[in-house]
Amino acid sequence: MTPTNDSTFEASIPTAPLESILCEEALQSRASRSPDYEKENRALVKLMKALADSPSTIFQMLADTILEVTEADSAGLSLLTKDGKTPHVDGQRFYWPAIAGMWQPHVGGGTPRNFGPCGDVLDRDATLLFTHWERRYPYLSCAVPFAEEGLLVPFYVDGKAVGTIWGIMHSDRRKFDAEDGRIMSSLGKFASSAYQALMHIEDLKIQISERERVEAEVREMASGLQAKVRRLVEANVVGIVMWNLDGVITEANESFLRMVQYDRDDLTSGRVRWTDLTPPEWRECDYWAIAQLKATGAFLPYEKEFFRKDGSRVPILLGGALFEGSGNDGVAFVLNLSKQKRAQEELRRSEAFLAEAQRLTHIGSYSWRVATDEIKWSEQLYRIYEFEIGIPLTIEMIRSRVHPEDCTLYEKMVEQGQNGANDFEWQYRLLMPDHSIKYLHALAHATRDQDGQLEYIAAVQDVTARRLAEEARDKARSELAHVARVITLGTMTASIAHELNQPLTGIVTNASTCQRMLGTEPPNIDGALETARRTIRDANRASEVISRLRALFSRKETATESIDLSEATREVIALSLGGLRRNGIVVQADLADSLPTVTGDRIQLQQVILNLLHNATDAMSSIDDRPRVLLIKTEMDQGSRIRLSVKDSGSGFAPQDANKMFEAFHTTKTDGMGIGLSISRSIIEAHQGRLWAAQNDGAGSTFSFSIPCTPEGLADNRADPSVEAA
Amino acid sequence: MDLPHIVLHGSAMECEDRSAGKRRLLSAVVDDDESVRESLPDLLREFGFAARAFSSAREFLSSGCVDETGCLILDIAMPNMSGPELQQELKRSGREIPTIFITGQKDETIRTQVLNQGAAAFLLKPFSDTALLAAIKTAMEGN
Repeated sequence: MTPTNDSTFEASIPTAPLESILCEEALQSRASRSPDYEKENRALVKLMKALADSPSTIFQMLADTILEVTEADSAGLSLLTKDGKTPHVDGQRFYWPAIAGMWQPHVGGGTPRNFGPCGDVLDRDATLLFTHWERRYPYLSCAVPFAEEGLLVPFYVDGKAVGTIWGIMHSDRRKFDAEDGRIMSSLGKFASSAYQALMHIEDLKIQISERERVEAEVREMASGLQAKVRRLVEANVVGIVMWNLDGVITEANESFLRMVQYDRDDLTSGRVRWTDLTPPEWRECDYWAIAQLKATGAFLPYEKEFFRKDGSRVPILLGGALFEGSGNDGVAFVLNLSKQKRAQEELRRSEAFLAEAQRLTHIGSYSWRVATDEIKWSEQLYRIYEFEIGIPLTIEMIRSRVHPEDCTLYEKMVEQGQNGANDFEWQYRLLMPDHSIKYLHALAHATRDQDGQLEYIAAVQDVTARRLAEEARDKARSELAHVARVITLGTMTASIAHELNQPLTGIVTNASTCQRMLGTEPPNIDGALETARRTIRDANRASEVISRLRALFSRKETATESIDLSEATREVIALSLGGLRRNGIVVQADLADSLPTVTGDRIQLQQVILNLLHNATDAMSSIDDRPRVLLIKTEMDQGSRIRLSVKDSGSGFAPQDANKMFEAFHTTKTDGMGIGLSISRSIIEAHQGRLWAAQNDGAGSTFSFSIPCTPEGLADNRADPSVEAA
Repeated sequence: MDLPHIVLHGSAMECEDRSAGKRRLLSAVVDDDESVRESLPDLLREFGFAARAFSSAREFLSSGCVDETGCLILDIAMPNMSGPELQQELKRSGREIPTIFITGQKDETIRTQVLNQGAAAFLLKPFSDTALLAAIKTAMEGN
């Protein structure tokens, strides 16, 4: 038997009008029992107790109480509901949550709001007594046993009718009376409280279960998250600690403990606190972190140091946050920076070393990122350019220092760099504000940076000192050469005079003779012609001497050059070969190939060689009993020198004359170009060399000179300042 | 420069022939310079002397004409034996000859030295013919 669930009921059979099932006046007119207040009170007390102790049973208790005090056959409650099982004040249906008595099996059933006795009661807003209601509401005929009489009382919550309480007589054994009505009313009020209490409890139940559900969710999430976080903590790749603002470290992972070398207990017990771990100078940073925590709930990572248990310090990076909902507890990560600090220190040291090295060597360095024109200079380079160290630089600023004459060079270099030339090297000058000049030598290396961009790394050396020294040396050399020439000239003055005197004497003598010959009777024409011829010849000789001398002492710029002595010797031999052969001299030349060069005056050195050849020739001029052999040799001598020796098979010289020979005017030569041994020696000495003579083991003597090779790196063909691709 | 070598080599025979019983008439020129040897004897002959030239002191000494030489015109700076050295040698061997020194450079020390050693004259090249003549006369008269 299921009562219908329709909220609307279409009558398919005729139903009796409402009045026909109501007996209102009957309730008032019937004889009423006298109230049994005691019983009523007991009942109410019981209900109260039940409401307090086990509110979920209250409806049933109420139904039982109604049954008892009205002595009805059935009693129960009807509550408005929407879904048939939970009370709802806007419900369109009544359901019976509790029934006592004969109708007890019908619990859970109900009636429609708009077509049923409970609905009538709520419509009339009054207690109603029904009889045989199935005449109007045929569906109630399903509810057996039939109701002879039914007494229904509405009850309210917050002014709204939410249901009825009722009692039913199934026979006419007894009829409801006014007393029943009064008790029911009273109980109705109680029902109202009970209803409210129960609803409240239900609400609470819902809230609680909702909260429990959420909490369960959160717990699960938390445990999932916790497990994940735990992974990080236990991986010990970074120190993780939990702390509170009182300064106690409440939890710490192994990694942290190892960092500070404390036991967990030292920290969690509070014996060793955050402030104990922090060196005094770092406390201020902690205060700042705490301020951030209080303001934002977290603090940005910062560096500081901790004291280890043994008093040493460990540099760390620290970041953390407060736990949500807590104003006092939080978590932090602690990263050990020892390695980084060591690396930084290494870097700093090597940078300091580099800076120092640069200062010592006057080498500065720079990097130039071509695409962005980003230029970074080392301190030393600032010093070289005499800019304030560290100021930002532009190409214009650098350009302003370049010597005006080297500006095009500079432009060229910049252009080449921008076009991605390879390594390059160039030399240029700076013009300083005080108008002094600096010579720079730069070497640049093209490289790609981490983004693949073209970047040049360059070293720039201030070679001013070297250049100035070179210039001074060159100047000194040219002066020396000039002095050597002057000395030679001075020494030769007498010799020149002598050389010229010979032909002049001839001229005067011959001319005088010519005069006399023409003055005789008859004149000696042939003789005169002969003397005249000789005169002209001698005059030519004199003129030749002068022009050769002029060539020798022409005021050309210093004729210092790199000379291959073997080559120079060959030239001299070639010039003299005719004369040597005519003197019956066999010439042997042993000239070393690829001799290192010497630096000096080619003409002067050749004069010396010529002089030695002539001396040798003279020494052999009276030799008839053996071959006249002249050996010329060039070779390397020890101490980076080149030696030239001229060996003859002549008459030799007496030991006591060894030095006398080199004195001025000890000898004169028949050849008009002669320069004596003393001059030769002066020339050789001006070339930082020496000239000496030695007797041979056999016949004759050997004259030798030895002069230094051109030193490495100071070759005189210096590169012009220009950009060369390396 | 190639000059024709004009060296007057006399033969010992010639000198001996000439010197037999004759007074010393020879003027000897000793100079290593070619042009001097070339030109001076001709001038001397214009003066009326017999003249011969020698290229070195040794040549003169070994020529056999020493005793015949009435006048010696001597260059100072020569290879091997210099003029003053020849003067010494003649003195040493007791064959002093009236000597006129000729030279290219002015050196007071040498001048003093040779004059002290008995030189008749000291002429600086180039010298005029008249100066030479005068010197020769002085040399001869001093004999």
